[in-house]
Amino acid sequence: MTMPFDADSELTDEALLALYASGNRGAARTLTLRLTPRVLSLSARMLGDRSEAEDVAQEAMLRLWKIAPEWRTGEAQVSTWLYRVASNLCTDRLRRRRGVGLDDAFGEGVEPTDEQPRVEERMQTTQRATALREALAELPERQRQAVVLRHLEGLSNPEIAAVMEIGVEAVESLTARGKRALSALLKGRRAELGLSDDG
Amino acid sequence: MAEFEKQSEQELEALFKALRDEPEEPSSDLLARVLADAYEAQDVRTAEAVPEPAPVAPQPARRGGIRGLLDMIGGWPAVAGLATATVAGIWIGYNPPAALDDLTLSVMESSYSYDTSLGSMLPVYSELLAEG
Repeated sequence: MTMPFDADSELTDEALLALYASGNRGAARTLTLRLTPRVLSLSARMLGDRSEAEDVAQEAMLRLWKIAPEWRTGEAQVSTWLYRVASNLCTDRLRRRRGVGLDDAFGEGVEPTDEQPRVEERMQTTQRATALREALAELPERQRQAVVLRHLEGLSNPEIAAVMEIGVEAVESLTARGKRALSALLKGRRAELGLSDDG
Repeated sequence: MAEFEKQSEQELEALFKALRDEPEEPSSDLLARVLADAYEAQDVRTAEAVPEPAPVAPQPARRGGIRGLLDMIGGWPAVAGLATATVAGIWIGYNPPAALDDLTLSVMESSYSYDTSLGSMLPVYSELLAEG
């Protein structure tokens, strides 16, 4: 019933999902190793919280396991479906956070609080990554989702359109607005982040 | 303006790259949890897929006595037929049709040629006396 991981690695996500649905343990392992990092990456970048991102990744994968027997071949990309589920779960969490007022701590132009310290002594790359994470947390959910999918997860605009269930033009609009907002949020930190001497 | 946007785009790209360079690798614990979920979902489906034993048709309650016997032979219509046959048999026994009588006699006479009169069936009285 099981087969080695290497034997499966050539198969598409969809083929593996069909094998998984038929009870194949090897397919379960391969899909876990292949898809969990992607879902976790997206979730972590959308939520900015590793622990919450792990919960979302597990939940999104669980939904994949459950839907596997009903998966209709050729109807959607497994990764697209999974990104959609994960980003919707993230959006739900972001809205709940807002509901309890956690976002209030990050008004425009406000420096990060002690919970997300800017670590001066770290390398510049780490500083930049941290600053961007903080700025992303300020964006409206849809803009954040589009920017993360486009510029951090490397999806194409049509792929993002499929994930977000909107048109390509709407994706372009969201990413453009998102990037403008990020630039504005990070404007005062350009020198600190080594982006410009005149910051 | 275009120059400003280009610079802004480049700066943002530098930030995106910084974040991309910090990959979010799943911990072994997370992978184990995800895989455990996968196996559990498979096991649940496998358990559901095992065919259940076919439902047994409810057996009619066993009935004893006359009711049971009736059920066995086919109910009241069968009893009526049985009763008719019985009465006919008894009637024929007591009052056989003449044709049947002739047939019986002809068969018996042709097969057995011994005396069937009452006198021949009784022992000879004088012989009994002689034996004492």
